[in-house]
Amino acid sequence: MPDSLPPSPVRRRLRQGRDRLATVLVTAGGIGVIAALLAIGVFLAVEVVPLFWSGGDTQTVSPRALWSPLEAEDDLAGYRWDPTATLGTEEPARVSLVPLAWGTLEAAAWALLIAVPLALGAAAHSALFMSPRLRSRLKPTLELMEALPGVVIGFVAGLVLAPWLERHLADGLAMLVLLVPGLLLAGALWSRLPPRLQQALPLGWAGLWLLPWLLLVLAVALWLSPWLEAWAFGGDLRQWLEVRLGLDLAVRNAIIVGMAMGFAVMPSVYSLAEDALSGVPRSLSEGAQALGATRWQTLWRVVLPAASPGVFAAVMIGAGRAVGETMIVLMASGNAALMTWNPLDGLRSLAATIAIELPEAGPDGLHYRLLLLAALLLFLFTFLVNTLAELVRTRLTRRYRRLGGGA
Amino acid sequence: MRLAKRSRARLPRGEGAGAWLAAGSVALSLLALLALLSLLAIRGLGHFWPASIALVALDDGRQLAGEQVREVPLPDGTGRERLYRIGNRDLDGTRWAWVPVSAIAAVSHPPELMVLERHRWGEAIGRLVAVESETGERLEGQAARAALENRMTELASLRQARDTLRDEVVLPRVQALQEGVDVERQLATANARLRELQAAMQAGHLTLETASGERWQVPLDQILRVRYPNAMSPLDKLVVWGEGVWRFLSEGPRAANTAGGVWPAIFGTVLMVMLMSILVTPFGVLAAIYLNEVAHQGRLTRLVRIAVRNLAGVPSIVYGVFGLGVFVYGIGGSLDEWFFDAALPSPTFGTGGLLWASLTLALLTLPVVIVATEEGLARIPDQQREGALALGATRLEMLTRVVLPMATPAMLTGVILAVARAAGEVAPLMLVGVAKLAPQVPVDGDFPFLHLERKFMHLGYHIFDAAFHGGDVQAAMPLVYATALLLVLVILVLNLTAIFLRHHLSTRHGALSRR
Repeated sequence: MPDSLPPSPVRRRLRQGRDRLATVLVTAGGIGVIAALLAIGVFLAVEVVPLFWSGGDTQTVSPRALWSPLEAEDDLAGYRWDPTATLGTEEPARVSLVPLAWGTLEAAAWALLIAVPLALGAAAHSALFMSPRLRSRLKPTLELMEALPGVVIGFVAGLVLAPWLERHLADGLAMLVLLVPGLLLAGALWSRLPPRLQQALPLGWAGLWLLPWLLLVLAVALWLSPWLEAWAFGGDLRQWLEVRLGLDLAVRNAIIVGMAMGFAVMPSVYSLAEDALSGVPRSLSEGAQALGATRWQTLWRVVLPAASPGVFAAVMIGAGRAVGETMIVLMASGNAALMTWNPLDGLRSLAATIAIELPEAGPDGLHYRLLLLAALLLFLFTFLVNTLAELVRTRLTRRYRRLGGGA
Repeated sequence: MRLAKRSRARLPRGEGAGAWLAAGSVALSLLALLALLSLLAIRGLGHFWPASIALVALDDGRQLAGEQVREVPLPDGTGRERLYRIGNRDLDGTRWAWVPVSAIAAVSHPPELMVLERHRWGEAIGRLVAVESETGERLEGQAARAALENRMTELASLRQARDTLRDEVVLPRVQALQEGVDVERQLATANARLRELQAAMQAGHLTLETASGERWQVPLDQILRVRYPNAMSPLDKLVVWGEGVWRFLSEGPRAANTAGGVWPAIFGTVLMVMLMSILVTPFGVLAAIYLNEVAHQGRLTRLVRIAVRNLAGVPSIVYGVFGLGVFVYGIGGSLDEWFFDAALPSPTFGTGGLLWASLTLALLTLPVVIVATEEGLARIPDQQREGALALGATRLEMLTRVVLPMATPAMLTGVILAVARAAGEVAPLMLVGVAKLAPQVPVDGDFPFLHLERKFMHLGYHIFDAAFHGGDVQAAMPLVYATALLLVLVILVLNLTAIFLRHHLSTRHGALSRR
């Protein structure tokens, strides 16, 4: 404190008082906000309790009704979700949450099946092969992809992709089948190119210059598909599926949901996995390459094992998102509470059920509390999955620091 | 091992198959993104382009006129068929016609074909035969065209006059009357004038000949716009396209959300997001300051931090359930009992509304703001704080003069990310206050000007509703594309701003070391 300007004691007390007041306010406000956030779980749990245990006057539902099939039928069809028709009537309540949980997990599984290979492939490519300039552009682009609203993706999946795939099932299959050989062919052709051309089309930019090649492959698949359908499936793939495998095709089905949600989940998995892969200390990968490993071998043997917890965490976060995504499932799945192994059938997820039925279910009824139970399940599942992922990631950061990098 | 060696020998400088699959997955993701965006852009913007109207003569002598929508192979694979949008829904019962290509004898584009956009029943397509005015005067040919044009401008001015009269004279008088002021005579004259205008608008009709030869009378006041698409030059079409885009942005929806514009939805989305950011910013920043600057950095704080981070991953629909249970039924129900019991049992705040939607989304985006602000605060080196304290600043002064200004870009990034997330979120809104049609925007001239209890329209929900709940989905599709494009553009702009800010932030604080 400069001695030319001695502070008056009143002013100093004022300042200190203000400071103390502000600290108290910030503390109270901060704790209040955080408590309000954490209240979500508490609220759901408290509201769900009367469903199973009540003072006597209100109706309850036995836990058995939620998790077991109707007594008459013992197979998958015995699990029914039909609260509006059966609650409050003489009939046994058909309120099994099993088909909804099934639909949720099925949709998430298909989404991950599509998103995880794409995301991990992209992450590996951009962490090890991609030119830094392209990489610094690609990350924001995929972040924009992450921000695309679910309602838009769901609309395109449910009203554009689903009708198209219904009419062109064979085209879709041909595209899927030819994709991998097409990419491998690109690699084989590239290694036969003269060195000058190879320099013009470096592997670091392959993410971009493979785009026209992919279009070409997809066009070839479209061209080949009638021939493929005639040769392998007797001219009509839909009929073949129905007769040979007993698979009915619903317009909006689990595969469509998986594709749409895979598209939505892929960027967040990519971004976390890429962080984990590129966070591996450079000394490790440089050492491996100096010993003569190719970059792919380095990735497979050194970088991926080191980063595996981070990659695992990325997949977990993706699973959490896929389980809770509402609009895409709502718009692309048909919302029929079926339990089948058929990926071409519709499904109904917990989140979509809440969105459809909660506005109609009045407050404090059994139906309302059942839907709150569904919300609680979603909350618990995502919260646990995310906590697991977060713990794994913290441990990973510590491991990198120990390995001497942390770049 | 041997196999691996051989394959490596065959691809001398290559990395093996995996590298190409990895590169392919980047390309495939980009391709999917590009495909989605270009689909939205082409279909969304293409809808406003005035397509030419084809006159199709069939083998059996029938004729139809319409805009070709698409051509697909027949289900049995014997040929192709085309979908025409032929309008005239009140005449034919449908506005679509599927025609097998093999049955088409000739297709022409005669310039006299006319498209009428109407208030109800969608468009009418045909040839102009005659225009009859209220006095029974009948004009045909070129004269009819000119008369129709005159009449349309006349109608536009009449509509304008009616709207001004209603909004500026009648409605305030009605209000005054309710408050006990005696303006009954003025109101009566205004109403008489209004009826006069109405009558003047109703006069006259035109006779239309459809492609199949039927003659048909259309009242002139039903007609919004007249176009002759086949006679237009590309420049004319461009002008009409621009007008179409503008009307889409500035008008309200018509015909059960399958036609018209999305202005109330844009307004509702923006208003809701603004309210949300006003709510979320102070609370988020407060919580972040508490967590990073005030709280004792122990095990409990670390746990709370992880929990807050994880709440960002909790599904949005769960927040919607919380909003419905606590805000709408809990707080809203109590407010109704205390202050609005006159209106019960019809709820005022005890039902979904603007306030509850903004609060729910604020809660949903709170973790985003907290995490971003905390990152910004953690980036500021401790020397800065210690320096300020050493110079005699109290903690409050240190926070407000040194720490917060340095963390501003991080806060802004957090808020913008929150806004981008909230603008695209639909699922929770379905529970706490979005409406499929709310022609009254929540802001008007009546006290208290901002009506927090009203329901509002939202771009995202508009997409869902028009695409899945409309009667004629086929007719609503172009508008849904356009709405989706608009929503995506809004979100892209917000995200780009956030990315730019983050870049700015990292260059500004790049020199500072992390603690």
